[in-house]
This record gives sequence, C-alpha cells and structure tokens, in this order.
Amino acid sequence: MTEAEISRSESDRLDEEGFVLRMLRRPEAGAFIVMIVVILLLAVASNGLAFNALGLRNNFAIIAQFGIIATGAALLMIGGEFDLSIGSMIGFAGMSMAMMMKWGLPFGLGEATPAAAFFITLIMTLSFGWLIGTIVVRSGLSSFIVTLAFLFFLRGLTEVCFRLLNNGSTQISGLPDFKEQSWFAEIMGGEVFTWFYDIWFYLGGNLNRKGEQWVTGFDARVFWWLLISAVAYFVLSRTKLGNWIYATGDNKEAARANGVPTNKVKIGLFMNTAFCATMFAACQVFDTNTSDAAKGNLQELYAIAIAVVGGTLMTGGFGSIIGVVFGVITVGLVANAVFFIPWIDGSFFRVFLGTILLAAVFANESIRKRITGGI
Amino acid sequence: MADSLIRVENIVKRFGPFTALNGVNLEVFAGEVHALLGDNGAGKSTLIKTLAGVHEPTSGQIYIEGNPVNFRSPRDATTAGIGTVYQDLALNQLMSVTRNFFMGRELTNIFGTLKMDDMDKVAHDEMVKIGIDISDPSQAVGTMSGGQRQTLAIARAIYFGAKVLILDEPTSALGQKQQMEVLKTIKKVRGYGNIAIILITHNEIHAQLIADRFTFLSLGEVIGEGKAADLHGPDIRRLMAGGAEIANLEQELNAI
Repeated sequence: MTEAEISRSESDRLDEEGFVLRMLRRPEAGAFIVMIVVILLLAVASNGLAFNALGLRNNFAIIAQFGIIATGAALLMIGGEFDLSIGSMIGFAGMSMAMMMKWGLPFGLGEATPAAAFFITLIMTLSFGWLIGTIVVRSGLSSFIVTLAFLFFLRGLTEVCFRLLNNGSTQISGLPDFKEQSWFAEIMGGEVFTWFYDIWFYLGGNLNRKGEQWVTGFDARVFWWLLISAVAYFVLSRTKLGNWIYATGDNKEAARANGVPTNKVKIGLFMNTAFCATMFAACQVFDTNTSDAAKGNLQELYAIAIAVVGGTLMTGGFGSIIGVVFGVITVGLVANAVFFIPWIDGSFFRVFLGTILLAAVFANESIRKRITGGI
Repeated sequence: MADSLIRVENIVKRFGPFTALNGVNLEVFAGEVHALLGDNGAGKSTLIKTLAGVHEPTSGQIYIEGNPVNFRSPRDATTAGIGTVYQDLALNQLMSVTRNFFMGRELTNIFGTLKMDDMDKVAHDEMVKIGIDISDPSQAVGTMSGGQRQTLAIARAIYFGAKVLILDEPTSALGQKQQMEVLKTIKKVRGYGNIAIILITHNEIHAQLIADRFTFLSLGEVIGEGKAADLHGPDIRRLMAGGAEIANLEQELNAI
C-alpha cells in the first residue's frame, strides 16, 4: 500500500461541489425548472393574457387556494402521514360557517358574526384533526385508511347537516356581503396587496377600456398562502419543532428513543391540515358568500400531488416548503390555463398533473436513494 | 479499589412465566470496558434494556455511584447518566449529522429558534474528539459509513452526559476497517477515565482486544466473570457458548 492511499480518509470521499451543481441537487430543483418552463409556455401560448393584471390576479387566486392546503399536506407528509380528509374538511368547514351566517349561532345564541362563525368552526375542525391524529397514533393503523374513513364521514355529515338544517337544500347562496361591515370577513375574503396594482396603474399599466384602473388587488387568500408558507418554512428549518417533524417522519422509533414526542407531533400535524382546510373554506365563503356541500371535492388529492411535485417524499422525513411553493405555482397555472388559451381542452390539466406527478415520484425516489446510500 | 460507577444487584426479570434474568450481578468501573458476553437468548439484551430503563426489573436493585435508582422510562435512565447505543443507533438517515446529534435535545435561543451554527460546531467538535473528522456536519447521515454512524451515536451519548455507555454489538454488520475504527473510538472513550463502558459483542477477538473485565451470561444467569488478564481464549470461547465444549467443533464439521 502506498502512502497516498493510507492518508485518505472517509470524509475525502464527499466531494465539494460548485454552486450550480449544489443547487441542481437540491430537492426543489426539479420543481423549479418545471415551474419556469410552465410560466414561459403559458406566457407564449396565451399571448401574455395569463400575466396581465386580471390574469395574474386570477392565477394567484387558484395558486393560493392550492397552496394553503398543499402546505399543510406537505408538513404532514414530512411527518410521515397522509390526510385524505382535507377536501371533506373544507366542505364541512364551509357548510358550518355559511350555516351560522345564515341561521345564526347554534343553540339559539343569536346572530353570528363572521369571526364567531370562523372560530366556532375552527374549534370543530381542530377537534376532528385531533381525533384523526389520535386514532392514527393510538391504533397504529395506516393514516391512509383512517383519513379515508373521515373523507366519507365528513362529506356525509356535511350533506346531512345541510338537509336537516337548511330546508333540505345542500347549498347556501345569496348571503349578504359581510365584507362591508366586518373586518374579519374582509381579511378572509377581501383584497390584499392593493399597492401592487396601484403602482402598476401609476406606472401606466393595469388600465381597463375606459382608461381607468382595472384591477384593484389580489384575493386575501394570497396573503394567507404566503403567511402559511412562510411560517411553515420557518418552523421546519429553524425551530426545534421542525427537527421533530423531520425526525418523526424519517424514523419514528429513532426519534422516540431520543426523546421526541412523536405522537404529539403527528396529532399536531393532523390538526394543522384541518386548520389549513378551514382557512381554505373561510376564504371561499367570505369571498363568494356562498357554500355548497360538494365544496373541496378532490382537493385532498391535489394537495398530496402538489406536495409530491414539490419534492416531498411519500415515505416521510424529507421535503421542502420552497419546493411546494414551486409545485403550487406550476399546478395552479396549468389548472387555470384553459381560461387563457381558448383552443386547449381543460382536461389536459389532469393529463399534465398525472405526468409531472409520476416524473416527480421518480425524481424524489432517486434523491432518497442518493441520500440513504442506495438502499 | 474505587467504587463502581454502576452496580447491578440480584436483578430478576420475568416476562409472565418466562424468567429472562435470574439474579444477575454486575459491577462496572469508570475508565473500564466491561464485555458482556453470551450466546443468543442468554439475557444480554434484557439486561441492557433493564439498565436503559426500557424494562423495569421484577426484583433486584441498580445502583449508580452507590445510590439506588429506579427507572420508569428510558428518559429516567438517560437523566441518571446511562447512554445506550443500540444496534439500529437511533439515527435518521435523511437528516443531517447535526440534526441527528441534537435530535430531541436541540439548542434554541431565547426566541425558540435553533442555534444551527452552535449546533454544527458542537457536533463537529465532539466527533473530532473521539476520532472522526466529518468535514460537513450538514451532510445526511445516510451518506456516512457504518463506523462513522456508530461514532456519531457514541459521541452524542457522551455529549449528553452518559457516565455509563452501553454499546450493543457496535462492530456487527461492519467491514474490517470500520470495526477497527469503532474499537479505536471505544478505546478513546475508555481513556477519558470517567466513563464506564458496557460492551455487548459476539466477537471474542474484539472483546479480548479492548475489554478489561468480562461477564458471561447463559440462560439468564452469570456463569463466569473475571479480569482480562485471568482469562484466555479457550475459556472465553467456552463461556461465550454458554459453557458448552466447542473445542471439537472442527472435528464435528469434518464429520459432516
């Protein structure tokens, strides 16, 4: 054996990589590249319509909607579990809020304010989240099957409540616009970042046919999406709880042996997806002043698909909120593309989603293999 | 002679009708490696799980530095200064060295956020202390060799105050060179002088290389003990096999 060979150590086998290569190996890289491609294609194919003042507003409305629930789903998946009840939870929360706004508080407690309707609903949805989480951690059953049960249970419960308490109808429409009186309805369903469109207008853009200011602001849900994503990013990367979420999802037994309260972490994450579903519903109800028993249908699957496209591992323990943001923008833009490209069939959205989902699963799997040394 | 760091007196552990440990005594001193040997099913695992607070003994008493202790949970044992490094190491492959090192015991500042730089530094320095220089504490544990992982788990246990370090087959499932690395690590920890090491192994050569004392278990009882100087290869082999004569193993094999 030569001297050179002896002096090599294990750590020498890990090469220092350049900036570009390091960025390319990040879990968000794939999602970022796909996002850029989609933005460019959409801009060309829609003749820029998708990114004019109104196009931007409409696109961000759907991006934010997906983003609120996908962030919750991604956190839960990093923690090692699934939640298929998100869509039904949205339906339940929307029903609950709209019913209180129409018929008053339960038990004859009088008129409901938007804030009261929201917080009473939130108590119920968080309780359901707690119940789902507790069943999963106590029974050791797969969260797939437990939350599938709640998908049916909550959707059914929503329809039953509607028929029993709303004169047999499964929808509520024509509620007054609460945003005019209630600041709470305004922050849920009103407009945000109006300065963005004001500046655009002062700069000479954002004009309607009469030459007046065209669009005045983004939907409030855009703010909530950004806030939820920012908090999720901060918690995951900078706090003790974030370390616990990663540890719980990666190897629960190892985490527990080191004193991580894995059960509490999981239950908390289930309550968080319930919270996200409630925010989704609140933004919808106070924006449109309507509710429908079918609201939120299939949203749980979009949320999971977006989390995966964003680089979250199906097996837990790995994922990135920045990746989810890229995934959300990609999927949101494609979901909306039909409104800007008249010749395209809207169902291509699902063809596209299926394709990038499959590609993302393969990409994620290769990342996992690389990290775990090919096991 | 100095007092023992940990003393186990007459420990009995029954699981229903099954007696896993039948009155086991064990005494381990600071600055020594105590090899705990025995065949499969001898009760080694039950004994270390009792010491680690996973099982409560049916009867008997554990003393740490002369004081009786009762563990109701692994947490109690850790607090009392018992650090157990299990075979699966309790590591998360997808997470970084630092995040694994501080798993469940993260350093946070007054705002509750992680002190990542401090944690990186501690993880790196503690690993260097016992002999492995990982250049990048943010690398995932999955990219490390088995020996490095073992070292990480040992460094973590010591940093968080282990006075008694229990190593459950630390050299199994490793290549030759990595086995040597782990043995060197154990020897370094022994050199600190204030830590007692309990080493469970099936490898008599490793035991002879680094152990100061031996205890042999068979069917839940101690069938032999002694200092390294007083024991010789054939004795060790015989006692490891639970007292059975395996000297004529070669003949038996040839006969087949």
